[in-house]
Amino acid sequence: MGVDIRGLRIAIGGQEIVHGVDLTVGDGERVGLIGSSGSGKSMIARAMLGLLPPDVAVSGSISLGGTEVVGASDRTLAGLRGRYTGMVFQNPGASLNPVLSVGKQIELPLRLHYDLARAERVDRVRAMLDKVGLPPDVEGKHPHELSGGQLQRVGIATALITSPRLIVADEPTTALDSITQRQIVDLLVSLVDGAGASMLFITHDFSVLARATTRCVVLDEGSVVETGETAALLAGPQDERTERLVRAARALTLHTAWPDATRDASAAASAQVSARECDEAEVRA
Amino acid sequence: MNDANGYAAVVLRSMWRRASGRFPLMVIGLWVLVSVVSLFWTPRPLMQTDGYHTWQAPSAEHWLGTDGTGADVFSWLMAGSRTNLIIVILTVLVAAALGLLFVAAMVSRHTVLAGASVVVVDALISIPTVLIALVLAVPLGASVAVIVIACGFGYGLNLARVARPQALLVARSAYVESAMADGASGAYVLFRHIVPNILPVMLVQLSLSAGTAVLAESGLTYLGVGVPSGTPSWGHSLATTVRFISVYPLTVLWPGLVVTVVVVALNLFGDALRDAIDPVTNPALRQGTGVSGKEDGHGR
Repeated sequence: MGVDIRGLRIAIGGQEIVHGVDLTVGDGERVGLIGSSGSGKSMIARAMLGLLPPDVAVSGSISLGGTEVVGASDRTLAGLRGRYTGMVFQNPGASLNPVLSVGKQIELPLRLHYDLARAERVDRVRAMLDKVGLPPDVEGKHPHELSGGQLQRVGIATALITSPRLIVADEPTTALDSITQRQIVDLLVSLVDGAGASMLFITHDFSVLARATTRCVVLDEGSVVETGETAALLAGPQDERTERLVRAARALTLHTAWPDATRDASAAASAQVSARECDEAEVRA
Repeated sequence: MNDANGYAAVVLRSMWRRASGRFPLMVIGLWVLVSVVSLFWTPRPLMQTDGYHTWQAPSAEHWLGTDGTGADVFSWLMAGSRTNLIIVILTVLVAAALGLLFVAAMVSRHTVLAGASVVVVDALISIPTVLIALVLAVPLGASVAVIVIACGFGYGLNLARVARPQALLVARSAYVESAMADGASGAYVLFRHIVPNILPVMLVQLSLSAGTAVLAESGLTYLGVGVPSGTPSWGHSLATTVRFISVYPLTVLWPGLVVTVVVVALNLFGDALRDAIDPVTNPALRQGTGVSGKEDGHGR
């Protein structure tokens, strides 16, 4: 089992934000965690890696590959982070140190967890750059010299350089345009599947979720409201709060209304045209 | 090692290209050169006095004249340069170490430690450097150690206070969280992420501290708690002649001029170095600094 979360509660200043969440990610499984802003998605991701500040109270159980994270020592957590888990962050520009070269940042997990010769680390970084579709000269560049999409590819390369068993992707496409979003999601999925790893994909965007995951968990105000296969959940959400999210996603992202509310043929046609344009633009890019 | 040398060469070349960087480099280079030369040679032996030729104007025999004992002013300024250089280097090192220690405590994830260290720094920073020097002079007597400890302590606290906001921003940044998610330890985050990112603030503050240390050496020596009598230093040259400024102004002018030029150069040095080591403002640093480039990214 990649991740096994049982009865997770997170409280800040005595106020509970996450209320007894259960969540599992099996080996080789891609699971989505979706919810509106402030629902507690990122808190759960940080709790999984023990990244929450010490004054945040975390209770329950989080098992990463059989190792308990809640209450674990800094040494235990440091051993898991970057080795068993790799994390892709929301804002690729902000999650890279502006004064370190890209190569230095990609090789960090290797330096921390493996006793490799420098030449071998260099080789692995270059191979990883190639895998994520970046030219070798990116290695010597600094973050401000790269575009948003390139930066997120660097983030993915950093997360995957040690071939971790679990990837936690915390809204990795939010700061990107729609074409780059699809490219990044496809890249992430292909690399995770290729490595046989598991992935917890956190997002508030159902269109991205459908492409990235096979199963998803819907979170609302710190509680799980619905779980199921992503495709089935998108087609027929059972919970009212999930339905609200799906409706909003269709209205905003696909520019079409929820079919039960109105069956506007021109809106549907417009959505199809938009999707086709998107595909053509991606091919051109 | 070669990569580190290459990096230093790029930084020095970048500083040299600008007038604001060339001037401090020339002054500091000359200062270091004179300090080294003074170990082996001065125009006149330091202890050579001449009661018949006191307060002499500059001449071919005494380039900057003589003081009240007939000793050669130029020779004493040369020898004093090494004392001041040692004082500045040691003071900056003590200030940097103490400042970093307090910065690390103040941005700690442990809120009790962070809060307590802010209060401690605020309390200690209110103690004047002169008072610390006077207290230290009781057990230590007038010595270089008094200047280094008193100034290093005071400047270290100032450094911590000035660098804290920037350090706090870095410590709470997404890239530090990202590094921790990769398994980085607190020490790693401090030296690889926080220090490089607060380095511009540190360099400016430390270069100001270096300049202030030169001034403090003069002040504390004048008060009798700095460099002991008989040890050459610019402060010593000033302290022994300043009483006669209205009669023999030239003798006071030379050490005063040296102190002024060096303080201005040190202040400019920090600004020039900050611009030269920032890859955003210095395009020369943007190439060849990847993982196959300089080891560990030292010096950032």
